[in-house]
Amino acid sequence: MKTGHSFRFNLVRVMLVQVVALLLLWFLQTRYGG
Amino acid sequence: MHPLNWAVIIVYLTYVVTDGLRRSKGTHEIEGYFLANRSLPWWVVGLSVMATQLSAITLIGTTGQGATDGMRFIQFYFGLPIAMVILGVTLVPLLHGSGAFTAYEYLERRFDAKTRSLTAFLFLLSRGMSAGTIIAAPAVVISAIFGWNLVWSVALIGVPTVLYTMIGGVQAVAWADVKQMVVIMAALVAVVIVLLVKLPVPPGEALHIAGATGRLRVFDFSFTLNETYTFWSGILGGTFLMLSYFGTDQSQVQRYLTAKSVVEARSSLLMSAYWKIPLQGLILLVGIMIFVFYLFQAPPLLFNPAQDAEVRTAQPAALAELERRFGTAFEARGEAARAVVGARETSDPARVAEAKQTLRDRETDVVGIRTEALTLVEQVTGESSRDVNYIIPRFVLDHLPLGLVGLFLAAVLAAAMSSIAAELNSLSTTTVIDFYRRWVRPEASDAHFLTVSKVATGFWGLFACIVATFAATLGSLIEVVNRFGSFFYGSILGVFLLSMIPFTKGIGAFVGLIAGMAVVAAVTFGAPDISFLWHNVIGAVTVLVVGVLLSGFRRQETRV
Repeated sequence: MKTGHSFRFNLVRVMLVQVVALLLLWFLQTRYGG
Repeated sequence: MHPLNWAVIIVYLTYVVTDGLRRSKGTHEIEGYFLANRSLPWWVVGLSVMATQLSAITLIGTTGQGATDGMRFIQFYFGLPIAMVILGVTLVPLLHGSGAFTAYEYLERRFDAKTRSLTAFLFLLSRGMSAGTIIAAPAVVISAIFGWNLVWSVALIGVPTVLYTMIGGVQAVAWADVKQMVVIMAALVAVVIVLLVKLPVPPGEALHIAGATGRLRVFDFSFTLNETYTFWSGILGGTFLMLSYFGTDQSQVQRYLTAKSVVEARSSLLMSAYWKIPLQGLILLVGIMIFVFYLFQAPPLLFNPAQDAEVRTAQPAALAELERRFGTAFEARGEAARAVVGARETSDPARVAEAKQTLRDRETDVVGIRTEALTLVEQVTGESSRDVNYIIPRFVLDHLPLGLVGLFLAAVLAAAMSSIAAELNSLSTTTVIDFYRRWVRPEASDAHFLTVSKVATGFWGLFACIVATFAATLGSLIEVVNRFGSFFYGSILGVFLLSMIPFTKGIGAFVGLIAGMAVVAAVTFGAPDISFLWHNVIGAVTVLVVGVLLSGFRRQETRV
């Protein structure tokens, strides 16, 4: 996690993780929330 | 409570305090006391940032919210990762690189002394009060559960925290945060394991049952300014709130000012960007599983034992009648939950849909009776019931095995102490650096400032404990803290954003700040339906617009 990478790299990585988290939540909602 | 549980709590408290005192040995000057000589590794700072934000309110209130309202609260945190990335390239390098002790000290270098003093004063005002609320939240719950006087509960949380924060400074606070995060995570994992063991249905079925009652509905894409927990308010309003909290609030800024370098400070914030949403999801899911557990195991009608006793004395017949109806409704709801599991085994969609609808209807009956009971509580006690905050404490006391009850209570204390310690530490820093050293004794020695800093920490600790004793009956424990902060937060963020625009001037920042707060106040009172999450956006944008216009106007005036 410790990184000296560029803003763009961090942005892409954090957003990717967030997209995965949102997809998991979406799965939770559609699989069980119906 | 069993002596073994008390032993766990006493061991935890003793360890945190003695370790904090041990760390004070390396703190001989003010830079060490307030900033740990900028020597802490990123993971310590990162855990400290997370522990500071995760208060006892989060641990108790959010699980209760999960049990009663489900997952949708998680939308509140959708803006956090975005805010962390933005801060990593904007304010973190500015603040860490400036060598300032406080965020407000930087504002004087960029703008002027009055802007610094006003923002520092607003911080002291809002955080001084919220420190009291943060102690009050768990203290009220502990008092109600053990039947203690509130003063004793406040002292149990406040005295050890003040002791190690006052003597050990930021070193003690940050390293205590690390241990406190470990205790909190261990307690959460323990509760999850106990729930998995005790649930009479497999976890997948438990999720289907929870889903049938709407508790797994995460996303609300409606764009309405009145609703706090929607996707858009989380992404937009949440980003501004988190930018304000992590970028301009000294209780958080001071955490990453202790990092060895700008890179380490950025990395510490990224830890929250990665872990906050999963952690919050886990806390909410624990609440949801407790709800499912109580579908099969009779819950108390009132989770708050103190209010239960009061109503039982004042209105015994009314309560008995409600309990009788509640018992019948609980049986019917449990039957409906089991019917959902049975219907799913048949794989007949029509039967499943019908069973889920029946469960929803029975759940509505139970909620209706509970609402009547809470109205009775409010009539008898004259105060808001806030029963939601007692759900997990009651579950823990009634259903966790020996030793784990002590671990969970230690986690509640840890969550409270880590947040309060950061608040006291930052309140003391702002008092000494932004007021005492700036206006009263600029030439005094380092040793003098160190002594004054310790006295200031003690003062704020005492102040917070006194506020906690009186703030006990405040409304929603979760929202009060955020609501209070959001009154100033957005406007202060606006000033920091303004500082990154090259031509802006002190007059623009100062007038913009006042205009921002005035507009937020007008919106708060004029349009109370607008969710507090939007106040941050409104405040920040107002400051930016007014600040830029005024600075531009003054620049033209100067040219003429």
